[in-house]
Amino acid sequence: MKGQYDFYKGRIRIRIKGALVEPYLQACTRRGCQVTHLTRTSEDEVQLTIRLSDWRTFRELRKKYRCKIILVEGQGIPFILKRMFQRPSLLIAFFVGVLFVFVLANTLWSIEVKGLNPELEASVESKLKSYGVTPGKLTIGMSDPNDIQRKLLEDIPDLLWVGVKKQGTSYHLYGVEKIRHDTDDKERPTYLVAKKKGMVVQSFIKTGRPLVSVYDVVQKGQPLATGELVEDGDVFVHAEGEVIAETWYKAEQTLPQKHILQLTNGEATHSYSLDIGRLRVPLWGWWTSNDGDIREESETSDWNVFGWQLPVQMQTTSAYSLDAISLENSQKELKEIGVRTAKESLRQTLDERADILDEKVLHLSKEHGKVKLILLFKVYEDIAETKYISQGD
Amino acid sequence: MAKWQQQLRTWIGRYFDLPSDVMLDLPRITTIGSIHVYIENHTGLLHFSDHEIRIQYKKGQVRILGKDLGVKMMIKEELLLEGELKSVEFLPDS
Repeated sequence: MKGQYDFYKGRIRIRIKGALVEPYLQACTRRGCQVTHLTRTSEDEVQLTIRLSDWRTFRELRKKYRCKIILVEGQGIPFILKRMFQRPSLLIAFFVGVLFVFVLANTLWSIEVKGLNPELEASVESKLKSYGVTPGKLTIGMSDPNDIQRKLLEDIPDLLWVGVKKQGTSYHLYGVEKIRHDTDDKERPTYLVAKKKGMVVQSFIKTGRPLVSVYDVVQKGQPLATGELVEDGDVFVHAEGEVIAETWYKAEQTLPQKHILQLTNGEATHSYSLDIGRLRVPLWGWWTSNDGDIREESETSDWNVFGWQLPVQMQTTSAYSLDAISLENSQKELKEIGVRTAKESLRQTLDERADILDEKVLHLSKEHGKVKLILLFKVYEDIAETKYISQGD
Repeated sequence: MAKWQQQLRTWIGRYFDLPSDVMLDLPRITTIGSIHVYIENHTGLLHFSDHEIRIQYKKGQVRILGKDLGVKMMIKEELLLEGELKSVEFLPDS
């Protein structure tokens, strides 16, 4: 164990020449040095091994005993390291080797896809390729298996589930294909009912038996077509179709006749003050008189140091003089505005394919400076709504 | 005076059953067959060659004769010799 320790700390094999070798060694050991493997090589020369840490003591006492020290060799880790650094090619080779192993261990060597038909497998592989996951690529910087899993599921709709597992230098994918059952809903017997009250203007029933004809006025919830092909029969189908009906919407608008706008001409007087805690010290501009209509805007600075807000802040107050301008609209203009805005808001609530055909002003009155409008809109829209026939199963 | 002290030490050592090397400043020499010699409590290496080693202790010298002798390890007051031992002689100062 002791020898091991000395090996790590380093040992030196030396030869000592001189007449006073024995007293010299004695003096050294008295100082705490350790001498090992001492042999006499000739009349006035011995060979021995000392610890590297004792070298200094040996050097110090050498003069006094008139001995000559000849270095034979160094042993142990410090000398091995030194020799290694003297041969950089060896060191480089070592690091290149380590790097090589590291790179090889972090390279993706194979991708295995299981549980999918060849067509889907090919699409999975091409997708993987587009993510940069191909054999021979480094796995460093590659998105991790969970990411790949998520991306695959997003990009390939036919995949129900895919498990991506990284095992050493290969990816194992296990996929489950989505088996499409054409949705049940499409086959269940249904009938079509009216979504809202209206007059049928056009009816196109793809499947099913129509129950209404053009110019019929239907109430909300009234059946438009049925899936029961024969009356009191057993044959039920999925009724499908479009029933365009004329529907009516009533809208009410109240618009003020007079607007008062506060306008500034952009000219402002500024005043500055310093806020110290709760105290406000006016700095500049405090003498400006603020007469007439003004709008004041004050802004407090946000002085902070390393995220700490300073207790001293600057406040800038800008005063804008205001001019009130009143705008007056005529009744005709207001009507137009009302119709336009009402139409716009109606369009937002309606289906995209719906058409607003016509609008009619039912009522227009003026009271207390406000114009009240009641409008009626005529809209063509699809009112067919699918309802499932309960068969009591 | 020295003689009196010596006698007292011997007596104390005997009375308390103490190891004599501690009490009397004598070297403890252990040999393993004829290949190793382990010397403790010495005061100096006087001479060293491959057939003769002389060691100083408080009251004299020890001479070890042999063949191919070498010091395997040497630290303060301890010495481990190896080689082919022939004899261990004591040469007390008298």
